[in-house]
Amino acid sequence: MGKFVIRRLAQAVMVVIAATILLFIGLFVLGDPFASSGDKVVPPETQAILREKFGMDQSLPMQYLTYLGNLVTGDLGIDLNQRRPVADMIGAALPNTARLALIAIIIDVIIGVVAGIIAAVWRYSFWDVLVTIITTLAIGVPTFVIGVWLRQTVSGVWIFPQVPRSFTELAPWYTEVLLPAVTLAIVDAAFIARLMRGSMLEVLRMDYIRTARAKGLGERTVIMKHAFRNSIIPVVTYVGISIGILLGGAIITETLFQYNGVGYLLYRSILQNNNPVIMAIVTFAVLIYVLLSMIVDILYAYLDPRIRLS
Amino acid sequence: MTTTPDPATAAQAVFVESAEHAGPGEAPEPQQQGKQKSHGQFADMWRRFRRNRLAMAGLVVVVILIVLALLQPVISPYDPYDQNLLNTLASPGGDHLMGTDALGRDLFSGLLYGLRLALLVGLLTMLGSMTLGVTLGALAGYRGKIADGLVMRTTDIFLAFPFLIGAILVVRTFGTGVFQVIIALVILGWPTAARLMRGQILALRESEYVEAARSIGASDWRIVTRHILPNAIQPVFIYSFTSIGVAVVAMASLAYLGVGVPPDTPEWGRMINMGIEQVQVAGKDFLWMFPSAAICLTTLVFAFVADGLRDSLDPKLR
Amino acid sequence: MTGSADIDLDGPPAPLLEVRDLRVHFKTDYGTVKAVDGVSWSVNEGETLAIVGESGSGKSVSAMTILGLVPSPPATFPSGDIFLRGRSLLKMPERQQRKLRGSQIAMIFQDPLTALNPVFKVGDQIAEMVRTHQDVSKHTAKKRALDLLGEVGIPNPAVRINQYPHEFSGGMRQRAMIAMALANDPHVLLADEPTTALDVTVQAQIMALLEKLQEDRNTAIVLITHDLGVVASYADRINVMYAGRIVESGTADEIFYSPRHAYTYGLLSSLPRMDQSRQARLQPIKGIPPSLARVPQGCPFHPRCTFATDACLPQVPELMPVDGAGHSAACVHSDRVAIAYDERVTQ
Ligand SMILES: Nc1ncnc2c1ncn2[C@@H]1O[C@H](COP(=O)(O)OP(=O)(O)O)[C@@H](O)[C@H]1O
Ligand code: SF4
Ligand SMILES: [Mg+2]
Repeated sequence: MGKFVIRRLAQAVMVVIAATILLFIGLFVLGDPFASSGDKVVPPETQAILREKFGMDQSLPMQYLTYLGNLVTGDLGIDLNQRRPVADMIGAALPNTARLALIAIIIDVIIGVVAGIIAAVWRYSFWDVLVTIITTLAIGVPTFVIGVWLRQTVSGVWIFPQVPRSFTELAPWYTEVLLPAVTLAIVDAAFIARLMRGSMLEVLRMDYIRTARAKGLGERTVIMKHAFRNSIIPVVTYVGISIGILLGGAIITETLFQYNGVGYLLYRSILQNNNPVIMAIVTFAVLIYVLLSMIVDILYAYLDPRIRLS
Repeated sequence: MTTTPDPATAAQAVFVESAEHAGPGEAPEPQQQGKQKSHGQFADMWRRFRRNRLAMAGLVVVVILIVLALLQPVISPYDPYDQNLLNTLASPGGDHLMGTDALGRDLFSGLLYGLRLALLVGLLTMLGSMTLGVTLGALAGYRGKIADGLVMRTTDIFLAFPFLIGAILVVRTFGTGVFQVIIALVILGWPTAARLMRGQILALRESEYVEAARSIGASDWRIVTRHILPNAIQPVFIYSFTSIGVAVVAMASLAYLGVGVPPDTPEWGRMINMGIEQVQVAGKDFLWMFPSAAICLTTLVFAFVADGLRDSLDPKLR
Repeated sequence: MTGSADIDLDGPPAPLLEVRDLRVHFKTDYGTVKAVDGVSWSVNEGETLAIVGESGSGKSVSAMTILGLVPSPPATFPSGDIFLRGRSLLKMPERQQRKLRGSQIAMIFQDPLTALNPVFKVGDQIAEMVRTHQDVSKHTAKKRALDLLGEVGIPNPAVRINQYPHEFSGGMRQRAMIAMALANDPHVLLADEPTTALDVTVQAQIMALLEKLQEDRNTAIVLITHDLGVVASYADRINVMYAGRIVESGTADEIFYSPRHAYTYGLLSSLPRMDQSRQARLQPIKGIPPSLARVPQGCPFHPRCTFATDACLPQVPELMPVDGAGHSAACVHSDRVAIAYDERVTQ
């Protein structure tokens, strides 16, 4: 197990290094991220601070190392408009994003796993057909259409705050987070339900399920112990990856609901051509994603002893 | 084992195996093994596909959408770019089937143009990422060793970028435009296709009939094109339909965020973005509803077709 | 874990396990699959009954029906019943049947790799079997699992008990399966192709183990296999199955030295044997078994049978007594088969 973790860790580090090189090329080599462009005017003082910070008078390899160094120390420069430290801006948005991700995941895991098990165990029943229809629709309709629809019809009703927001009105966090969380959860729940159903169906025809029944175990134990432990493994993978994406900022959903997370911050920065912020968030998103993929792999190995011990 | 089963009993064993796994109402069809001509497999798939009504309906709509997109220059009632500031936010009906937007542009013409754009981007992205992915995936799977390591580590890196974020990055690097969007989506889409292909090849490479072909001295090229590709291509073929839907949504999402196509392009994501800005004006919900419906319809029908294909490939998985 | 001690004192004691005129049919899109079609046999304590036949002849379905594990639908049971010490298993409510499963009747399967749950430790899987049927503490169950692993000849059981199935070799896995099956000292052990997936040397070890455990516990074993060679020295009785029916039934000696059904003859002719002259060439049965959804008219074996004549076509031959007391065969030309076999052996 220990060897496996170390190998996986090394792989993650390699991927991160390669990805940051790609980012660096895209951001620094193919353009000047801090120059004024088009109608975007960057004050010379701001430019000077940033060029200094990212060592832009040095050779490219040195610049890359400086960029890495800045990342490691968490000092990501200042934003082009008000010279706020970018790290602070992300720091302020991150708790909101984490909260959103967590709530969305809890909703979709519960709904998805339960629906998937029901559909698999009572295959071809009314409930199975219902799950199939709903998941087909939920997956076929893009998240952002679901989001738009919820925003246009449900926001402003009952406890759901009005979008577009009037920023003088403060809504408690749990009302703010609900609609974006539901938006994100709908698609993920559908995916998880399908994954769970497929994986459960596959496991249910395994020989060891027959063995479990031949032991005289009740159907509930057969399913919730013997089949569940095996069929949940792909779901864990999916959920981990999904968390990785959401923590990097659910840009569409957060933007739709003007939810003050990392994704919405990225959107606003894109609109304002605020390169240091964009750069930082994209890098951050990649890091989180790689980290989560790694955790997922390790968890996977923990759940499936066949991998753990090889 | 004291007795080595002859091929006939082996086939029978497979039959029994599949029948034991069959659920109620499912045909215990004998599963053919290995050496089959690809057109035979596709004919089989098509036979099962046709029985799936939802998938067939999806296919019909897909064809209709493609025809509409092709005919767009002819059937579009107005130039989708033509502004008429004297007739903005007109409600559907009259001269404008689906009304006009905030710039007085005909919404129906815009939707048709958006359809053409969406299918163009969807198809080209699919073709691009499939070509790249299938080639590299096949190379990695068949050649193994260095080629495999190189391709797989490269996919690792590309897959480290969350899809939308990666696309934003690429488009911002290469600049605004439909072509740039396609490039971005291909760059982000090929690794998935490559991995799928590689997995297939790895499974097939060791299979009996490939071994057999190798033992009679068939060349690598012949083995790959005659024996492996035809058998490996089906899942990739199914995924290609899924990937069209993914590309359509991705472009709309990018455009919604103001990334990708120029802001005044009649593109569905742009239209929704502009539409929901008009909510304060009562009764103008059609501005976002029509383009939303257009996206849903397109992605749904492609999903139906992909689902139908998947089920027709492996009825056991239903 | 005592069996049903209520032995009927008036009549002759009921057999331990009796299958009577059992039919198991599956309704499928492709028609009714008659997997088991009118099968009767019985087995007593300490006995080994072998059921032999090609793949797809309905052997596993018979065994799974005894355990009550055949899904219905699609399965129907048009006739017959199964009795454990005279109590009907088919009419018993599921809850009660479940209590017998694993305690009175246990089963081991063909592929020990897939028959054990990959995510649980071997010891825990055995302990679970104990705790399902006996009211004992976790600790006691684990202790019992340890003893069982030792008993089935797994070296170093204290370590093995905490390992996962994939850390076991094929033979060791099957030993673990046997340990699990015997955890509650069942009266009947159904062994469905217990050695098919194993190497030849391991096969012999497993069979020897089963024989030893049977002697210790007086268990009845129903040994299912497609390989007549495996059962030669272990079975007391042999039932030969073809297309869902028993076509010949007799003691091991009767089946091996005087087969009376053309199918049995075919099976024996395709078997390498030590006790016969080299000259007898191995002759596999030509063709493949019929689909059980479309069993041929008349004798189901006739399309593949070298003895077949028009007399075999009008109806399905009944299982009829031939020579010895318990020896019976369902073949119109059983006499010709007997003569042909003698010639072959003395060739
Ligand atoms: N659930 C089921 N549905 C339909 N047919 C089945 C089912 N289970 C078994 N069968 C059929 O019953 C027949 C007998 O199978 P089986 O008892 O497994 O054969 P054996 O063990 O002798 O190889 C086979 O033709 C098989 O296809
Ligand atoms: S009854 Fe006829 S066909 Fe059937 S086994 Fe005997 S000889 Fe052959
Ligand atoms: Mg069997």
